[in-house]
Amino acid sequence: MLIKYTIQKVLTYMNKYDIRLIGIVLVIILLILFFTRKDNNYANVYYNDKLILKIDLSIDKEYSVNGYNGIVKLKVKDNKIKVMEETSKMHICSKVDWTNSGVIVCLPNKIVINFSNDELDTVSG
Amino acid sequence: MNKKIAKIAMLLSISVVLALIESFIPLFNMIPGIKLGLANIVVVFVIYDLSIKDALYVSILRVILIGILRTGLFSISFFFSLIGALLSVVTMYLVNKITKLSVVGVSICGAIAHSIGQIIVAIIFLSNVNIVYYLPILLISSVVTGLIVGMAAKRLLEYYDNKSIY
Amino acid sequence: MKKLFVLICMIFLLTGCKTNMYKKSMFYMDTHIEVKLYDIPNETSKKLLKEIDNIYSEYHKLTDRYNEYEGIINVYYLNNVLKVNESIEIDSRLSDIINYGIDAYNKTNGYVNIALGNAVDVWKKYREEGKNIPKTYELLNLNVDIKSINLKDNTFIKKKDVKLDLGSYVKGYVTEIVAKYLEDNECEKYLINAGGNVRVGKSYKSSKYSVGLEEPFNVTNIYDTLLVENMSVVTSGSYQRYYEVDGVNYNHIINPKTLFPDNYTKSVTVVTKDSGYADILSTYLFLLPIEDGIKIVNSLDEVEAIWYADQIYYSESFNIYEQV
Repeated sequence: MLIKYTIQKVLTYMNKYDIRLIGIVLVIILLILFFTRKDNNYANVYYNDKLILKIDLSIDKEYSVNGYNGIVKLKVKDNKIKVMEETSKMHICSKVDWTNSGVIVCLPNKIVINFSNDELDTVSG
Repeated sequence: MNKKIAKIAMLLSISVVLALIESFIPLFNMIPGIKLGLANIVVVFVIYDLSIKDALYVSILRVILIGILRTGLFSISFFFSLIGALLSVVTMYLVNKITKLSVVGVSICGAIAHSIGQIIVAIIFLSNVNIVYYLPILLISSVVTGLIVGMAAKRLLEYYDNKSIY
Repeated sequence: MKKLFVLICMIFLLTGCKTNMYKKSMFYMDTHIEVKLYDIPNETSKKLLKEIDNIYSEYHKLTDRYNEYEGIINVYYLNNVLKVNESIEIDSRLSDIINYGIDAYNKTNGYVNIALGNAVDVWKKYREEGKNIPKTYELLNLNVDIKSINLKDNTFIKKKDVKLDLGSYVKGYVTEIVAKYLEDNECEKYLINAGGNVRVGKSYKSSKYSVGLEEPFNVTNIYDTLLVENMSVVTSGSYQRYYEVDGVNYNHIINPKTLFPDNYTKSVTVVTKDSGYADILSTYLFLLPIEDGIKIVNSLDEVEAIWYADQIYYSESFNIYEQV
């Protein structure tokens, strides 16, 4: 009920073009989400442009990478990854929750972590 | 003329105060690029009430002042804010001129432009295209904050439309 | 407008580039072989895959120990039909592969021995029965002397009753021939897996080929993933063909010096460019204590190895294949 009321109130501020705009943006968002959100099994750690580490999320392990300001510590657990420690003023990327999709950006350290689903090309054994 | 300068100065200080207050609320420090942008209420107001030039003044000066007061002048954060603010103001001006969107719509476009600007700068700064995966969260937050800012700006414009406080 | 541009960029990034891939599965040399070719036209792939099947098939026949083929002088013939001191002309391909084995014997201090056939046969019999191990006297009297083999140009003579067994490197050897064939025919992006003997060319994607290493005795689990390009990855392991007697593992890789299998490690994986070389090294290292093996690999150029034993051991720069 309250929701309906607020939506009605909000709508009074907008004209039909505004509503269309929001519609288009929401569609775009859904498209992006549709294409990128999924459980990934690899985390790719980049320093600037360069891929410096490819992490298999199925193995619980800790990693240290060299960021611009210092060492950034990562931990993998239960198929997800989290930034545990970083040298920065605001510690933004260590506040990001355990995840295996999307992007983790540590600007001051110039570290970016994104995810991919890589299947092994083959096995040797 | 003096009245105008005084008016802009007042609006600027209101904008700065809003931005300051917002910077102390911990909620919006979590994810880079997500913020309420209350200071933009003033910017939107100025675009409609005064001119784009004035809006640019308010916007840029606000970023500089906040830079001095909070984030550090010429720091990375400052640079991001600056680009975001510029893109935002220019976009809102163009959108207002070209399309038939209302204040709210214009504000949303400004918020989106600000976010996209941040992403582009982040991509250039980090030389890493993968940051685009960030867009969904950023876009949703832009729509929401743009909506809120726009609504507030609209009310203000209506209120001051038939009054003269000067 | 801005949004449209960004949307287009994203669709580009997200859908990625799908490369075309053609593959073929075959069964030769008692091994399941899979070949994948990337980024080539359909017509070309058909031609190449057909020829690859042919290459494996021909070498399979030539090196087959257990079957004879009409009109072909192969290992079966040399082992079972050819009489001692009787000379015979053999196919140059067979002669090349035998010479490769003789060379390997010298390079590995005799640990890779193509004349081991008699010992391999005894162990095979016992392994198939699965109950006992051979008695020492059954092995001592066997002739496994490589000097009994005489090969000049393409003329083969055996001085004594000796049996050839090329199993320790034939898969790698032929796989490398296939790799060269592909590269000579303008196919650079390929992946071959001949029963765990992996050979890859140039990568078809923005990252290198990812090759998983099977955990011994628990092969559905991958204990490490390698990122390689223009490389071979070959593993020798005690879990591939073995049987147990009184709780002791007896695998199929027989040490030419002791005529018994070894258990220094559960598996060793060699990473180097040439598949034949990798196959030889993996057999060699499997028969050595890990410490000695590590020293040897560290002294070799462009060879790295990993051992799965009580713990995991690495050669000096092995991690270059674990990183990007």
